[in-house]
Amino acid sequence: MVRARFILILLLAVCFSLAAWLQPRRQERLNQGVQTGSVLATLLGDGRQMAADYFNVRADIYFHSGYYPSVFDQAREEEEKDSDVSHPEETNAPLEAGFRGPPQDWIDGFSRHFRPDRHTHLRGEAVAEILPWMRLSADLDPHRVQTFIVASYFLRDYLGKANDARDFLRAGLMANPNSPELRYELGRVYFENLKDFPHARNVWLGALRSWDEVEAPKPLKTDSGEGERDIHLHSRILDSLADEELTVGRTNEAIAYFKQSKADSPFPARVQKRIDNLEAALHHAGSQTNPPPH
Amino acid sequence: MTAILRTENLGVEYRSRELKQGAKVALKALNLSVQPGEVYGFLGPNGAGKTTTMNVLLGYVNPTRGAAYLFDVDVREPIARQRIGYLPELTYYYKFLTAEELLRFYARIFEIPKSETERRIDELLKLVELEHARKRPIRTYSKGMQQRAGLAQALINNPDLLLLDEPTSGLDPLGRMKVREIIQRLKSEGKTVFFSSHELGEVETICDRVAILHQGELKVEGRVSDLIQQYQCNLEQVFLKVIGYKPQLS
Amino acid sequence: MNKIFAVAGVVIKELYRRKDFYVLFILTVLITLLMASINFFQDIHVIRFVKEGCLFLILLAALAIAVTTTARQMPSERENRTIFPLLAKPISRWQVLLGKFVGCWAASGIALAVFYLFFAVMAASREHTLPLGAYIQVLWLHWQMLGVVIALTLLGSVVLSFAANLTIVFIVSLGILLVAGHLHKVASGMTEPSASILTVLYFIIPHLEFFDMRDLIIHDWAGTDLPSWLDVFSATFYGLCYMAFFLLAAGLVFRRKALN
Repeated sequence: MVRARFILILLLAVCFSLAAWLQPRRQERLNQGVQTGSVLATLLGDGRQMAADYFNVRADIYFHSGYYPSVFDQAREEEEKDSDVSHPEETNAPLEAGFRGPPQDWIDGFSRHFRPDRHTHLRGEAVAEILPWMRLSADLDPHRVQTFIVASYFLRDYLGKANDARDFLRAGLMANPNSPELRYELGRVYFENLKDFPHARNVWLGALRSWDEVEAPKPLKTDSGEGERDIHLHSRILDSLADEELTVGRTNEAIAYFKQSKADSPFPARVQKRIDNLEAALHHAGSQTNPPPH
Repeated sequence: MTAILRTENLGVEYRSRELKQGAKVALKALNLSVQPGEVYGFLGPNGAGKTTTMNVLLGYVNPTRGAAYLFDVDVREPIARQRIGYLPELTYYYKFLTAEELLRFYARIFEIPKSETERRIDELLKLVELEHARKRPIRTYSKGMQQRAGLAQALINNPDLLLLDEPTSGLDPLGRMKVREIIQRLKSEGKTVFFSSHELGEVETICDRVAILHQGELKVEGRVSDLIQQYQCNLEQVFLKVIGYKPQLS
Repeated sequence: MNKIFAVAGVVIKELYRRKDFYVLFILTVLITLLMASINFFQDIHVIRFVKEGCLFLILLAALAIAVTTTARQMPSERENRTIFPLLAKPISRWQVLLGKFVGCWAASGIALAVFYLFFAVMAASREHTLPLGAYIQVLWLHWQMLGVVIALTLLGSVVLSFAANLTIVFIVSLGILLVAGHLHKVASGMTEPSASILTVLYFIIPHLEFFDMRDLIIHDWAGTDLPSWLDVFSATFYGLCYMAFFLLAAGLVFRRKALN
């Protein structure tokens, strides 16, 4: 009897210890699941990134109204690109040139009657048709920043849904808090669509800080081209800040931003021309220079 | 008078799937002749070849040798079955159809005109006492009801020759009596009935002629009364003698 | 012909007395309505996503109905032994086979028409247009596709069991829809003899993608780039040739098959 009680107490102790050891691990796992808590994400598990890729492609297919190269066409294009390195420009944008080429046989030719066979883009409000796929892709892989950027672009520019674009970018920032691209795009929504210039400026300053944290440590050039510092983004952020300063009448601050932007800009001559024009305008107006913003 | 059912040296062999075994002979040079208007009993122990003979007559199996004819038409032609009715031993009908739909379907196969079809359906369902269940699917029927539905479908085309495979198998005494009555009624109408059965008492009562098959061979054929007189015993004992059964002495 | 239609009538009755069609139809409707009710962004109305989902469900459901109904016919007749009283009537095996084909094809066509009616109503309620010509074309071609698949299934049903036939036909049909049109591209990148084998396969398999107009409907090409009626009739003729081939093969096998 005593022995039975002893065993029971021992078992209870083991169960309690196991529960205490498992609980924090379960909580941690649940917390990870909160970020992508959709039913689809849960069902797909780690396959959700593949699904997100697929949904992105679906969005592109929809943008082209179904006229799109299959995986076999894309594989063939890759082979041709690899074998034809002397004329890379000829294999660029195969979609624009018509990826199918002339029919290879009567089956190929006849089947084209039953599929979209012209290259078009969705226009105006019809662009909304791609959004479900972009939304699904973002839900499944919220760390794919481009999805948020492209969707917000169409929302604000084609559909006039600036608030939705803003909210979507904010959702993207929740999952990618340090993304300079998302902050830059969010700033554009505030500046170009919502005309909220102070807010745009704050967001772009945040984008600069994120760029300094995320991009600045990266090497300028790599062998594969991947992981390079995105200096063009840096230039765009600075240009946008300069435009904002110009809008509110702070020309000296704008000139300072343009000078910083010139170093990273792909069109330094153009930037220099703007600086020269602004300085000339200042000189004529006799306005005072302001200290650099930071 | 031309035989309504005739086999000429009918032989059927089945190729065995076992490599070491040769072909199995199911029927050896069977010669049968059934005259119009008679009730003909087709007897034999299990494995004698009765079912094989039926399968050939119904076109399920092609003969290896010889030929079989119904109404002087080779059984391999579908038209040979235009004037026959067939009642299988076990009821095999579409369970999702009602008795009425089943009869209408088979009537259409026989290309019976619609008005005639409806009249026959009413008549047959009344005959087999299935009027109350005509709109119910066959899967809801009891075994006896399914057997009666089978009898109705065998009679839908008002056949001149009825092929019955163990017609009273699984029926209660009342059901058996009804089947016997139907056979006798058909005979009185000048129809021909060809049936296989293990119920020798029944066969002795209703058949005009019988054939006894054993190991694929026709052992004896003749009028029931003639056989009983010849062997000086009842039909069951004739059957046992013909197949060579020797009772073990205790 | 009367006998063929009689057998076909029994097949049609079997379809609408089974639960398959109703379950699949209700599932299709529910999933489509669920997709239509999803609000991706406020006040943004999308229809192509819903149309694609609905048409995909219709493709799967129609294929399921056609293949399971057909694959079940001959094995069920043999297992339930209903083939015996049927062939005891003045009907040839060819007529039974053709009757089964006509019945399965007609039953699938009826089911398809109901599905497409729902699709048309759903799409029209959102788009406020009804491109009737396009819908008739897509329904007709889809029905031809099912005819080819049904004929293939019938051939399988006289040689294979129900489960094996079902599996093989599903895989082959979906495989053809996905990759048949690209086999020649794959073959061009392969070495011999694989390239030749694949090329021969490319030319002899039935190209079911000729009958798949979904992309034209989804992406609103109905107003501009529909196939001509000549193309539709050519595709129909192509499909009928394959149906005839598979049925002939099935008949040649079935007529020699012992039923006991």
